[in-house]
Amino acid sequence: MSVVLPTFVESAIPVLDAIIKVDIGSFLLMDREEASHRGRNLNMNMSGSQKRPARLSSALFVALATTSTALVTTLGGALAAPKGELVVVNWLGGSELATMQAFEKAFTEKYPEVTIKEIPITWSGDARGAIRTTLMGGEKVDILINTWPSFRQELVENGVLRPLDDVWTAKGWDDKLTKSWRDLGSVDGKVYGIPYNYGDRSGLWYRVDTLKTAGIETPPATWDELLATFPKLKANGVTPYIVPGKFWAHAEVFETLLIRTAGADASRKLGAHEIAWNSDIVKTTLKKWREMLDAGCCADVATMLGTDWDNASDIVLKDAKGGFFLLGMWINNRAEENYGLKPGVDYGLVQFPALGLGHDADSSVDAKEFNAVTSGQNPEAADAFLDFAISAEGSAIFAKAGLASPSKATDSSLYGPVIRASNDVVAKADVVFVLGDRLPAELGDEYRTQLQKFLQDPSDANIDRVTDALEAKAKELY
Amino acid sequence: MAGPTPMGISRDGQEGGRKPSFFGGSEVGAAYVLLLPMLVLFGCAVVYPLVETVVLSFTDMRGMAAGKWVGLKNYGTLFADPNFRAALSTTIVWTLVVTALSVGIGWGLAIVCSLAPRATLVFRVMFFAAYGVAETVSGFIWLGIFRPDTSGLVNAVLAGIGLGDWTTAWLGNVSTALWCLMAAYAWTQVGLPLMTCFASIQTIPKTLFEAAYIDGARSASIMRYIVLPLSMPGLRVAIFINLLNALRAFDMIFVLTGGGPVRSTETIGYFMFRESMLQFKLGYGAAATVVLLVAVVVISIPAIIKRTAEAT
Repeated sequence: MSVVLPTFVESAIPVLDAIIKVDIGSFLLMDREEASHRGRNLNMNMSGSQKRPARLSSALFVALATTSTALVTTLGGALAAPKGELVVVNWLGGSELATMQAFEKAFTEKYPEVTIKEIPITWSGDARGAIRTTLMGGEKVDILINTWPSFRQELVENGVLRPLDDVWTAKGWDDKLTKSWRDLGSVDGKVYGIPYNYGDRSGLWYRVDTLKTAGIETPPATWDELLATFPKLKANGVTPYIVPGKFWAHAEVFETLLIRTAGADASRKLGAHEIAWNSDIVKTTLKKWREMLDAGCCADVATMLGTDWDNASDIVLKDAKGGFFLLGMWINNRAEENYGLKPGVDYGLVQFPALGLGHDADSSVDAKEFNAVTSGQNPEAADAFLDFAISAEGSAIFAKAGLASPSKATDSSLYGPVIRASNDVVAKADVVFVLGDRLPAELGDEYRTQLQKFLQDPSDANIDRVTDALEAKAKELY
Repeated sequence: MAGPTPMGISRDGQEGGRKPSFFGGSEVGAAYVLLLPMLVLFGCAVVYPLVETVVLSFTDMRGMAAGKWVGLKNYGTLFADPNFRAALSTTIVWTLVVTALSVGIGWGLAIVCSLAPRATLVFRVMFFAAYGVAETVSGFIWLGIFRPDTSGLVNAVLAGIGLGDWTTAWLGNVSTALWCLMAAYAWTQVGLPLMTCFASIQTIPKTLFEAAYIDGARSASIMRYIVLPLSMPGLRVAIFINLLNALRAFDMIFVLTGGGPVRSTETIGYFMFRESMLQFKLGYGAAATVVLLVAVVVISIPAIIKRTAEAT
């Protein structure tokens, strides 16, 4: 680590060093009583003429001491610059993994004395299982990438994560992240998560030419407009709305409809089980979804349950055989990188249409954050890593990769039109974290299965069964 | 330079006149010393995790939280859990159908291949190669075959021959998903029965067939009274191995359906994964693992005892 100092400071270093060694050093070596005694004796034994040079020398001493203290701090800071190995648990894949590795490379270029050791997590289904295995297996980890608030809570409860309030204050992160981001990364009032990117999860992805061919000039802004697109798209041989119900992505539809129907606060309360799962709010949401199904939005139930999120993305954005689908911002990167489409020109993102129930500005978001792990052997490097993530330099790497950064230091001109539009929406919205990621794992799994059952039979009687089953499971867990 | 080796055999190959002395003068001692590295490995890699799993099944461990001892509660809950009972019945159907399909097809192919052994070499290699392909890889191949739209092979073929109305999302349809999975899995398991049965059939003396023909036996009779009984050794091995493989199957289910739609293709193996790794109920998942282990042991032990008795 090299620190560039002004020339005059560099030339003063040997002098100051000598002073520090002789004067301050000997002064500090005295015990407090001796120092006090010596000071008294000096003053008592000096005459006035003798006192003047003494005052001068005292002033010089104070000045030098102040300067040297500042220098010591500077040099100390330089000496305390992070170094050594930083261990990062990385479970990301695809373009996100490439972005993360570019970020790590930039970090080590800034701090060349730090080397990053990645523990790559191979996982399928749910990365948390593999992350748990890694942590419980005794790996010494400095940084963990996380995207599940419920998982953060679990890790905090088991003493795995290090609180970051002191680091937050020391590094002045209030200048980079708003209070709402701090709250979003906190557990019981203490901050544990530093978000480095986030995404709108209430937007519909579409292909511009698919809509135009069907005679739809602008994407739907209201519920009625959305329903009106279905027959037009179907007439063109396009499935209007793709529901990827194979594993988890169908839940996005429910969550967005819940927010539009009852607001972000209702979603928060449902996640905390302050609202019952068999309440009218949930039933009304499912009935709203049924309206879409009745309007012929989607393929048959077998196709919905046989379609995963990546199939949905292919169908809508690559093959142009689907009208809309609802998913997170990583689709933006996929569309550009995998399909070679231009954002804002070939494809777009529009907020889920307004229902006119007073919650049309509310939005669901996801975020990825870094957590500092207590077992880590290099907290200084970990703190520098977190700081770098929300710096202008670090956040630019995410922005260039098409990922929105929550940092105020981010240069927003780096964003493409899709990200910029979504950021504008999120900035004005009452946002809530994705419901499925806030639920305890057991309930989250049951929730997705019960929504599949709803898709099989959206009748009132089955809505009652589905919501009762969810409420029964929730009662076991809260 | 002749002299006794540790096993009591002289270096020139003759039985020594006295017992070995290198391992303390006992053959049994020598055997244990030689076995020790393997026993240590086996203990660390198999016995210890097994014991840990059994212990875990008596706790209520969830996620990273330390579990409390709950005795047999997990087992009680397990057998009352409708999802587990459904997984159990799916496992029974899955195991029987997959084993019957794979062994039956393998045996049939072995007979066909025996008719012209040299000409069928390429096909035998191809069928056996499927057995060598990782299940996950096979899963992705079948995922493409069963794709819900017309880019899936099955749907494309149906549409191509004028049966477009029959196209469906095979893996998203509750009534077809399990059967598609079983067909895909059986395909991966055909190679072993083919090879073991083929080897058994090859050992049948040609004179038996000639005698049967001379006595006027028809093909069906030859199959029933000569080929079937004499290919039984290979058939038994294939049934035993394929049965155990089917019971433990996970990868193919994971890739193709993830136990869905709506848990309709969930076997005990997948149930165990769901409870442990998706819902993070580690104690409960361990209890399911122990049940699966017991099933495997119950099936294996008689076969192992029988084979051991035959060998001695």
